[in-house]
Amino acid sequence: MSLEFAFDLLLALAMVWSAWRSLYATRLDRAIVMFIAFGLLMALAWTRLLAPDIGLAEAAIGAGLTGALLLDAYGALQRKKI
Amino acid sequence: MTGFELPIAFFLLCNLIVALLAAARGPTAADRMLTALLFGSTGTGVLVLLAYGGAGQVLVDVALLLALLAAIGGIAFARRAWQRGRDD
Amino acid sequence: MIDILSAVLQIAGAFFYFAGTLGLLRFPDVYSRLHALAKADNLGLGCVLIGLALQAETLAGSLKLLLIWPLALAASAGVSYAIACRADSLGVAPWRKEKH
Repeated sequence: MSLEFAFDLLLALAMVWSAWRSLYATRLDRAIVMFIAFGLLMALAWTRLLAPDIGLAEAAIGAGLTGALLLDAYGALQRKKI
Repeated sequence: MTGFELPIAFFLLCNLIVALLAAARGPTAADRMLTALLFGSTGTGVLVLLAYGGAGQVLVDVALLLALLAAIGGIAFARRAWQRGRDD
Repeated sequence: MIDILSAVLQIAGAFFYFAGTLGLLRFPDVYSRLHALAKADNLGLGCVLIGLALQAETLAGSLKLLLIWPLALAASAGVSYAIACRADSLGVAPWRKEKH
């Protein structure tokens, strides 16, 4: 088993696990952190699939902007509840 | 390339996954967010190492973007999302 | 010679990343975890970037790698300040050793 194959296998397992955690987390803030981690692993996976331009878009939109917007929405929900 | 890039990238990915497992059970909201910030910087390191391990210079741009946008998430958390919660 | 120096710097960077992850998992409160995170951000990424910049073919490529580092330093300092400031205003007390 070569090192590259082990790298890809570990990446795929981590992606599936973080996607599952992000969908089934009981609290919103945990789900958001897992979503940010999933976006980052997805960007890594796109670059491993020789599509670095899609990885660029995924790092910008998935991990960066959507994460910040979701955190902002979570803060607004918390403020409304109090 | 010295041949060390891929083993070190693999080691950093193992680090990332250990931190991911810990983030799922982190004691407070701030700790989970700190783990997400660690993902940003470790991901930058992995991308730069992969770029010089034979995947091409484009990955350096992805790493640059990742380093920039991890900070935006952290600032959004500190300024907007972190309220006095149930488990702080 | 350059190859050996580059490999040594990359291994040092990996060590700092490992120490940062370990500290993030083991330290007792938010402020000391921020300290561990800053080590991984600044020293780990810095050592890896310098090690790779030594073996870049062109000067532009190596300068581009070295420009990621000040960006990461500024981002890490800003985020650490914002989170520590917010933790302080929320009343998170710094950890102290228990008195016997």
